[in-house]
Amino acid sequence: MGAALLVREPSPRSYRPALLGTLRTYGEFVRMGFVDTLAYRLRYYTGIVTYFIYVSVYYFIWKAIYEHGTAIGGFDFPQMMTYVAVGWIIRSLYFNNIDQDLATQVSEGTLVMNLIKPVSIQGALIATALGQSAFRLTMLTLPTTLVLFVVFPVRRPASLLQFAAFSASVVLSFFIVAALNFAVGTLAIRLLSILGLLRAKYFLLELLSGLLIPISFFPRIFQQALNFLPFQYISYIPLLIYLGKLSGAAAWKALGTQAFWALALVALGDAMWRWSSRKITVQGG
Amino acid sequence: MSPLIEVRNLAKEFRSFKRREGVLGAVQNLFVREYVTIRAVDGVSFTIQQGEMVGYIGANGAGKSTTLKMLTGILVPTSGSIISNGHVPYRDRRRYTRHIGVVFGQRTQLWWDIAVVESFKLLKEIYEISDVDYRRRLGRFSEILNIGEYLHTPVRKLSLGERMRCDLAASLLHNPPLLFLDEPTIGLDVVAKERIREFLKEVNRAERTTVLLTTHDLSDIEELSRRILIIDKGRLLFDGDLAEMKKRLARYNQVKFFLKDRSQIPRLAEVTSNGLALERVDELTYIMRFDRDEHSSAEVIRTLVNRLEVRDLLIEEEPIEEIVKRIYLSGEVG
Repeated sequence: MGAALLVREPSPRSYRPALLGTLRTYGEFVRMGFVDTLAYRLRYYTGIVTYFIYVSVYYFIWKAIYEHGTAIGGFDFPQMMTYVAVGWIIRSLYFNNIDQDLATQVSEGTLVMNLIKPVSIQGALIATALGQSAFRLTMLTLPTTLVLFVVFPVRRPASLLQFAAFSASVVLSFFIVAALNFAVGTLAIRLLSILGLLRAKYFLLELLSGLLIPISFFPRIFQQALNFLPFQYISYIPLLIYLGKLSGAAAWKALGTQAFWALALVALGDAMWRWSSRKITVQGG
Repeated sequence: MSPLIEVRNLAKEFRSFKRREGVLGAVQNLFVREYVTIRAVDGVSFTIQQGEMVGYIGANGAGKSTTLKMLTGILVPTSGSIISNGHVPYRDRRRYTRHIGVVFGQRTQLWWDIAVVESFKLLKEIYEISDVDYRRRLGRFSEILNIGEYLHTPVRKLSLGERMRCDLAASLLHNPPLLFLDEPTIGLDVVAKERIREFLKEVNRAERTTVLLTTHDLSDIEELSRRILIIDKGRLLFDGDLAEMKKRLARYNQVKFFLKDRSQIPRLAEVTSNGLALERVDELTYIMRFDRDEHSSAEVIRTLVNRLEVRDLLIEEEPIEEIVKRIYLSGEVG
């Protein structure tokens, strides 16, 4: 009997087509992310308060700044408030901890338990994060949206079409952030301790994504440089679409560029995983 | 028949950097690093046939877990080769792991905060297990391992023994031809250990599942496997039949005897006069060990009953712990 004959299939391969199988597998990870977050739903009540405080602080800062002018960097005050509020709202959606999770799994040795599964680690982590985001949509994003729209002068989306484009854009933001976090997280395998690096990345991302201030406030040379980087596609670009500052062909082009970055970063994460995973060391004889 | 697992000259080195102590040392560490290379596995070769149940034993840090992690595709060998179930484990990790089951006794593959059955459902999709197979196996495992009542409990609320049984079921849901177990009975009580051993025997018998398990609990080995591999300091010291090892290496027999009463205690000195060592178990229970080549059991017993009033006595073979200990000490077999 040859070795090949010993490979016992768990169930007939023709049971379902490969692509469908893959989708169902990662779909199951999405479900697990959702169910897992359910165990911690209480945490999200404080999340709503935190987001409210963030936006309040920005409200008073921008109010003081706009005392002396009507438009700064192309934004008037109501636009700016909308930018800030919606910025934080979508952050509650695209945000994830894949980088920290991976670093923790490396330091605690639990990564081993994922390696013994016939799945892509990147795929599994991103799918799980997607499930967590889906959960946050109901428990955090929607309540926060409600509160912010009632309390602050936040504008509705420019049009229904703009809102549809904005929604698609936020989904792509999620994938950009997730893939970026995975790629950074893989560094933990070789560097072992990357907490400092992760913190630096966190603040850099808040700034360069346009969450803290619109990219149009940056010096021109920075703006030009940022055009060639994925960061502004996380927050700035979807917000411009929401406000109607990007529409028509420009919006389509922005969505296309976002999709390009999402795919490019997934490929980068995959390459970094391959580069690092041969160096995995696990404690214990 | 070609073997299911073929390991040749396997070696794994870890390079870890030596930390100096103190403030000065810490500053020095930033600039000059000294590395030490540890050879955790050092030229190990063996083959395993389908349907075998093999015990891989060694002290802590002997290299058994490292070998297992190379066999499961987690670690990349420094040198040597592994062909397992037709794959090079680390190279085809995703295709290879589809057909293996793995349990690491000190870790869990179940999701910590949610009900056990959710993890099982995830595994069902990962391994593309059909509904029929899934229900049948889950039903059978629930019965044998008695985990039915925990299926809807979050893993963090389970005891170690309960969790381990669930982990074992998880590793076999896709009915892999090959099962790797790293310390599957560590930290468990006797009843839990027994249940797990029975289950493994059943799986090995019914499905012809090949099982490789590491342990430092030798009673696992005695219960489960006919063949053992002994590793120490990264090198394979013994590969063969457990019975064969006993026959070749058991040099000592022992007589365990129980004195009639305390009045016999002072007379113990008399029986040790011919150079036989005496080991005290408790006040009235003693073990006398003797070399089988130098003394016969009959002779030893005769000495004992002639000089002491003995209530009961028992002839035992040397426990395999003792044999293994001797193998470690001498670093070679025979």
